Parts: sequence; C-alpha cells; structure tokens
Amino acid sequence: MKKKAVVLFSILFVIMMALSGCSSSSSSSSASTKNEILYWNPFTGPDGENMKQIVNDYNKTNPKFKVKNVSIAENDMYAKIPTVVNSGNGIPDVTIVHAERIKQFVDNGILTAYDDLLADYPEIKAENYVPAGWNIGDLEGSRYSVPLDVHSFVMYYNKDLLQKYAPHALDDNVITFDEIRAAGELSQKDKITGIGITWTRPIFLSIYHQLGGDITSDGKTPTLDTPEAKKALELLKGLVDDKIANKDGEDPGQLFKSGKAIFYPEGIWMQNGVKEAKKLNWGLTNFPQISPDKIVNWTSSHQFVMLKDKNRSTEKTKGVMDFLNYVREHSLPWAQAGQNPAALATLENPEYQQLPQSFLIKDPEMQKTLKIFDYKYNGFVVEEVDKLVGDAIYGKLAIDKGLKAAQKAVEDKIAANNKK
Amino acid sequence: MINTGVKKELSMTAELEKNLGKKRANLSPYLYIGPHLILFAIFFLFPTLYGIYISFTNWDLIGTPEFVGFANYKEILFNQDSTFYDQLRNGLGNTFKFVLFTVPACIIVPLLLAAGLNTKPKGLKFFQALFYMPTLFSVSAVMIVFSMLFSVSFGPINHYLNVETNWLATQPYAWITLVIVTIWWTIGANMIIYQAALNGISKDLYEAAAIDGANSIQKFFRITLPSIRAQLLYTVVITTIAQFNIYGQPLMLTKGGPTSSTTVLLMYIQKNAFGSGNSIAGIGSAMAVILGLCIMVVSAIQFFFLRQRD
Repeated sequence: MKKKAVVLFSILFVIMMALSGCSSSSSSSSASTKNEILYWNPFTGPDGENMKQIVNDYNKTNPKFKVKNVSIAENDMYAKIPTVVNSGNGIPDVTIVHAERIKQFVDNGILTAYDDLLADYPEIKAENYVPAGWNIGDLEGSRYSVPLDVHSFVMYYNKDLLQKYAPHALDDNVITFDEIRAAGELSQKDKITGIGITWTRPIFLSIYHQLGGDITSDGKTPTLDTPEAKKALELLKGLVDDKIANKDGEDPGQLFKSGKAIFYPEGIWMQNGVKEAKKLNWGLTNFPQISPDKIVNWTSSHQFVMLKDKNRSTEKTKGVMDFLNYVREHSLPWAQAGQNPAALATLENPEYQQLPQSFLIKDPEMQKTLKIFDYKYNGFVVEEVDKLVGDAIYGKLAIDKGLKAAQKAVEDKIAANNKK
Repeated sequence: MINTGVKKELSMTAELEKNLGKKRANLSPYLYIGPHLILFAIFFLFPTLYGIYISFTNWDLIGTPEFVGFANYKEILFNQDSTFYDQLRNGLGNTFKFVLFTVPACIIVPLLLAAGLNTKPKGLKFFQALFYMPTLFSVSAVMIVFSMLFSVSFGPINHYLNVETNWLATQPYAWITLVIVTIWWTIGANMIIYQAALNGISKDLYEAAAIDGANSIQKFFRITLPSIRAQLLYTVVITTIAQFNIYGQPLMLTKGGPTSSTTVLLMYIQKNAFGSGNSIAGIGSAMAVILGLCIMVVSAIQFFFLRQRD
C-alpha cells in the first residue's frame, strides 16, 4: 500500500514538474532566445493571416534577428502586459497596442522611447507617415510608438438603393444626416431601413466631435456631460424615433447584407464581412456628417511599442528597428486586410490605390478628417459611452440623466486611480 | 563497557526503526492529498489570500500596491456619492435577483425530470443524454446559440410565436431569457445526482406505502423527498454558489442591459480590475471579497436550515 502510494505520488510529482518545467522553459526561452524578436499583437481575426505573411516575408530576407509572431486575443494581451512587465519574464520585444492606450502606458512608465534609435533610421520620420497616426506616439518630447495603420470608422452604402432613394447625396462626396433622413423617409414605405445603428461608440464620438465636442477639455478633465453630447444623442434618438434607423435588437449587418438597409456605418476593417454578400453592390464613403464643411472620421491606430526590458540587448533593439523599417515599406498585405497603412510608402502602390478604403489617405485633405480620441483616460470614457449610447437613443434612459451619470462615473474612476 | 556500548547501539537501531516506521505512517496521508494540496495552494489558497490583500490597497497592476486599510471598503459600502457604491448596490442586487430567480427552478426542474426518468420510460438513455448534454457545452457556445434563437428579426422564437418581442434588451424579457437559458444549460449536473439518489431508495418503502393506500403525490412528498434530503442539501448549496458567480450569461446575452438592470457584480469587478482603462484592482478586489462573504453567509444559512430538519 505504502509503496504504491509512494510510486503514485512520485509519478504525479514527476508529471507536475515536467508540466511546470515545460511551461516555464518555453516562456523564458521565447524571451531570452538570442536571435529572435518576440512580437506580440492582438490580431487573432482574419487579419492575423496578413500580419503573418508580412512577418514571414521579413524572415525570408534573412535578418539577423528573426521575428516570432505571437497573436493573443486583445483582452488577454492587455491583461498579460502588466504581468510580464512586473515579473520581468517573457517580455515581448515589440508589441502592437491601440493608440488610445499609449498615454496610459507612458504614464505608467512601462514603455521604452525610440528617441536615440531613430538617428540610424532616418526614414522613420513624420513625413513618411499619416499625421494622425504618427502624432499619437509623440509624448513629452519623446517618441514612444511607430504606427502600423490608421483604421477608421466610415460608412458602407448600397449603391442600388442609394440610386433609388438619394441619387444626388454623394455628389459632394459627403452624405449628411439630412440626406440620410430624406432617403430613409422615402425607403420606409418599401420597408427598407435608412441607416443601421452598429457600433455606438464611434458613431456617437464622431457626431460629438463634428458638433465641436471632445472627450476631454485639457487632457485631464473628462467632458462627457456637455450640450454637444446631448445634441449628438438627440440626433441619433431622432433617427430611431422616426424609424430612419433600425429597430432595437435588429441586426444592422444582416439588414445591410440582405439589401434591406441603405447605409451601414462600420469600420474599414469589416470589408471581408460585407464582401460575403456576393449580390450586394456596395460602396465606401465618409462617415455621415452634419455639415459637409467639417468632416470627421473616427479613427484608431495600431502602434508598435517596446515594453521596457532590462535584458533586451542593443543589438536586438536594432533588430526591432529593422523590422519596423521593413514594415514601413511593405505594408501592402496589411492594406489588403482592409486597413489603411500609416506608412505613406504604400500610398504609391497602384494595388493599394485600387482598394476602397484608400480614399481616406490618397488626398492629404482627407487625412485631416481622421480623428483619434487620444486621452489618458480614454478607457474609462469608452466604457461609460458603451453603456450610455444604446440605452439613451432607444429611449430607455433619459439623456440628461445618462450623461450626468457617465460624467460622474469617469470622474470617480479617475479619482480612484489617482489616489495614491 | 563494550557490552553496554553494543547494547546501546542495538537499542538505538531499534528506536530508529521505530521512528522511521512512525514517520512513514504519518507521511502517507499527505502523499495522498499532496498533489491536490499543491494545486489547491497554487490555484486557490494563494490567489484568494493575495486577492484579500489587494482589497486593502490601491493598485493599478503595474506599480507596487499601496496599503490603504479599509478605504476601499468604506468607499464601496458607505460613500453614497460614489460610483462604486452604486456599482456594488446594483451589481449585488442583480446578482441576488438572479440567484432568487434561477436557484428554485434549477432544483425543481431537474428533480422532476429525474423523477420522470426514474419511472424507466422508453428511450430512457436517449432522454438522459439529451438532458445532460447542455451541461457539456461552453458558456459562449450556448449564449451565441441563444442570442440567435432570441434575435428580434431573425430569431425562430419570435417567428413561431409571431411576435416582435425584444427578448434581450427590454425588461422583464431580459430576465426571463437569462433564467430560461441558465436552467436549460445547468439541468444536467443536478439531474444526474437526483437520478442516482432516486435509484437508491428502497422499493419496499413504496410498496408498503401503496398497501397503506398512499397516492403518488403522497409517495413523492413522504418517501422520495425525505430519502434524498442529503443530495438536496448538497445541490441547493452548490447551485446557489454557482449562480452567485453568474457572469457569462448576462455578459454575452444582454451585455448588462437594458440600463444596467442585468449587470451583475462580477461584471463590475472585471471592468474595474481589467477594464479598458487603468486598473482599479483594489476596489475590484474589495467587491470580490464582499461577494465572497455573501456567498459564505447564504451557504451557512442554507446549511443551518436544511440540517435543522434532521
């Protein structure tokens, strides 16, 4: 009996040691392998394949440091970053994070600046990138990130339905809310929805900014409970109340893909989903505007950052820079995933110019319409915005009350965060 | 001299052997529970204690935690102006509501099904498998299927009922949907326990009752229920604890809406500790500790009452 127990236990023990040994050795090896750059990104969707292609192509050029591509689901990746930074083990050499996170990371002191490195890479400079994407990484006189792309929230439209209900709406290249309203009133009789209420966060923020609002007044104080925010919500609520927009609970994507909606505000990255509807004759244009004079397209950006790591050698850091410089010139596969590369080198590529989303970048004037909501407490704001907008525009929550609660929640979270 | 020395040595070896034997006898229980004990310490004990410690600190997961005493608890329990006070109230309230709505059904429905299966109907194995199957599915798979079923414009439920009910984004339908989904998803585990318990009841009892002229309802309440009281106690406690940890269903189906009426406490805890902004881990942990205390108190009360009838 006793012997058996000892044997059993020792077997279990060996297995456990083996298992734990495996995990620790694999994670440390990925960090400390001398000739490999560990590259984390949140591209777990179909776009991950395009990123893999870029990395593979780069590795084929026989660089001194090969890149190891690790895609982790967005939420998991952001949860893992503090863990690896705290433990000092398995820190990735280069990481893709969203533009909105960078201020927060710099504030936490977990990013390495690119400043001294850029001297050897003169082509990684402002002139070679879309300004909206480039400017994000410039904080307190230092450069903390290099942009990969600028991805905007725009609007798809059904060409046949547009021809039928609003043939002249696109004459000035901008579809206004008034034009959507007029088209929706006509199409109602045929049971065609005017516009789909999709992702409420960028929809609300775009309109808010068109009206002159922003989520912060001075980079510190949040500004959500404002007359402009109220106006933006009222505009959306009006579309819902007058049945220009889809009903609560209806899936706007399904409506649009089955030809039952004229306008479908969505991200440029959703093209593959729209392409699935083979019979659909669709086009891509600016997000709807209140007036054609001030165009705003909600935008975010994937940015390359380096998390601080004492053990990263100068050599390896150079390897990272080589990779970033390569991506700058070879972003076409990324554009083919539906994104707009931030590096202007891709702009001259005729293949890129054929892509529908390139209209946002081709014209330098259009580049100015890209608005990234860059605020240290952006995360707190968007959580409240996500909670607020749907309820407010579908009449479940009084707009004034909702805005007040959202403002208070953001302020309280900031206060709790700054207590120390 | 020499003799005594030898004697001493001899006696020492004997003692040594005795001691060794004792040690072995004492060690073997630990060998059995050892593997579990290690896993328990790594994955349960240490995280729990660390979580309790974090609830007394201010921490953003990156810097070093700063000890603040009971400040987090004061904030969420007594500061009525605070957003976190509202979060705790609303979250805990919704969690309790969910427990009240689901636990009775999660006990009664499997019990009735088990009682039905216990009569050994045709296709017993088939139905047993059918009722048990949902338990095997992951929460996300189940929620995706149900969000399609309950979809407003394309869902079969609205289609066959010929209504346009917005099941997921208006009350009271959001609660009804959550309860239905949860019962469907969790029938299996309790049902298996009841089936085993019902099988263990002696047939003699029923025969004697039948001779005394008891009808089937009387049999159920006088014989069946008292006979499986231990299993009932176990399932009531386990189900209650499980439902207190409600998270996946409202997160995926109703997204906490409409107007935060189905936002349960775990959703707030997750948002505070691992949200898209800076982490407020201290407040999140304090909320988690309060949730843990609630579960302990409720379980203790249940234990007490169900034991009393012994």
